[in-house]
Amino acid sequence: MRINEWASLYVRLLGAQIRAQLQYRASFLLQVAGHGMITVLDFVATAVLFYRFPNLAGWSLGEVAFLFGLGGMAFGISDMVCSGFDRLSIAIQTGTFDRVLTRPVAAFTQVLASDFQLRRLGQIGQAALVLAVAIAIVDVNWTPLKLVVLLSALVSGVFIFSAIWVIGAAITFWTVQTSEVTNAFTYGGSYLVQYPMSIYADWLRHFFIFVVPLGFVSYLPSLYILGRADPLELPAALQLCSPLVALAFVIPACGAWRLGVHHYQSTGS
Amino acid sequence: MRLYWELAVRGFQRTVIYRSAAVSAVITNSFFGFIFSYVFIALYETRAEAGGYTLADALTFVFVTQAMIGLVEMWAWWRIAETVQSGQVATDLSRPLDFQLYWLAQDYGRAVCQLLVRSVPTLLVGMVAFGVRLPPDLAHWLALGPSLLFAVTISFAWRFCLNLTTFWWTDHRGVASISGLAAMLLAGFVVPLAMLPDAVRTPIYLMPLASMIAIPVDVFLGKLSDGRLIAALLLQGFWARAALGVGRLVLAAALRKLVVQGG
Repeated sequence: MRINEWASLYVRLLGAQIRAQLQYRASFLLQVAGHGMITVLDFVATAVLFYRFPNLAGWSLGEVAFLFGLGGMAFGISDMVCSGFDRLSIAIQTGTFDRVLTRPVAAFTQVLASDFQLRRLGQIGQAALVLAVAIAIVDVNWTPLKLVVLLSALVSGVFIFSAIWVIGAAITFWTVQTSEVTNAFTYGGSYLVQYPMSIYADWLRHFFIFVVPLGFVSYLPSLYILGRADPLELPAALQLCSPLVALAFVIPACGAWRLGVHHYQSTGS
Repeated sequence: MRLYWELAVRGFQRTVIYRSAAVSAVITNSFFGFIFSYVFIALYETRAEAGGYTLADALTFVFVTQAMIGLVEMWAWWRIAETVQSGQVATDLSRPLDFQLYWLAQDYGRAVCQLLVRSVPTLLVGMVAFGVRLPPDLAHWLALGPSLLFAVTISFAWRFCLNLTTFWWTDHRGVASISGLAAMLLAGFVVPLAMLPDAVRTPIYLMPLASMIAIPVDVFLGKLSDGRLIAALLLQGFWARAALGVGRLVLAAALRKLVVQGG
């Protein structure tokens, strides 16, 4: 299928999704507000800690807000786009995934288009707001390269989180139930990237830089943009590498998905 | 009475069969426990105490709150709402027992099970990894049981009311977002209430949601000396009773609205 055909199909499936979600309008608006406020309150909770403590491992409130906004936006967007993968286990349990396989469209596309959480817009908007405030209060010597690093980090972050959803979904082809361990990496990961990586123990930090590359979502690019010294003394070039790392992480995720679909056996229910 | 005991046993059994769910919940709760613990460890490098909490207190706070998530089931419990959506509620209402106690009994069973399979293992992880401490003296140990009982009761009454909103708005997800928010903010879940500015912390502490998390956590930490320990338990007891009462009022209003279609 050509890319523009694919895009028009995806847009049509999404349109149907969004219309369906807007049916319960009051509930939808409450959800948008609720999700947005959760993000702000999460940040307020962190800010309250700064009422009692002067800094977090040398990072000021504004700098932590920068991490929070960048990581929050990346996670919010990937959560909005990829929640079909999060819900795959339900399709496998109820047997509706069988139907997916009989249609003449790739399973990946159908699962991707099966859920689009428009209500996450609240969360994304609030994270963007926190990021904007952070940029306003932190002294950054902006250069064109820094702007490129910021935007590429955001896009890379979306892909890194999305790859985790896809890997988690691929695993459910074997486990049937969504593993809560996947949630630890996605929802847990969204908290993990809000704080400077230098606070974590070595094993945890190495794992989330070199195995599941969440360190490239916010921490490493922020070091470059904010001009902070890296207490971990990793090669400075890594601070610019988020897009490459995201690409390198997406490839095995796609492989895992393919392997999973191949392995799929209907639950028969 | 025997009937409600049997219901509680069923609630326990229904929860205990989901073994893999319990294991993965312990993993998730512990993972969050690790993240927040490292945040506090980094913060406490700048000072020794904050709002009366030492680093050891803060680490214990982190793992006790994580351990309590399963116990009070503050989020994502919509069993009654689902029966309203499916129509099963009509059958449940026609049973010859009290609708609220019918669910409360099952919830106590669920809570006891969660305490054993989720709370205790999560706490053990915290003890091994971060030296989380147990209650310091006999008085606090003795108070812990009733305090947790009240916490579960209040959380049940809160969820009972939220679930009943489906009688008015069929979709519960909007209520879920807003109520989750309120609970996170007011229960003392993310940040110890003691660390909030003084002007807001006392009013929040006296509100019902704090009785669900903040008070049991302070009991666990041994923060409440004699008179205040009793006062805290009385406050929890008061809110437990009041919240169940509100639940009955909401139920009565819902039943006036309910129309059961025959056939």
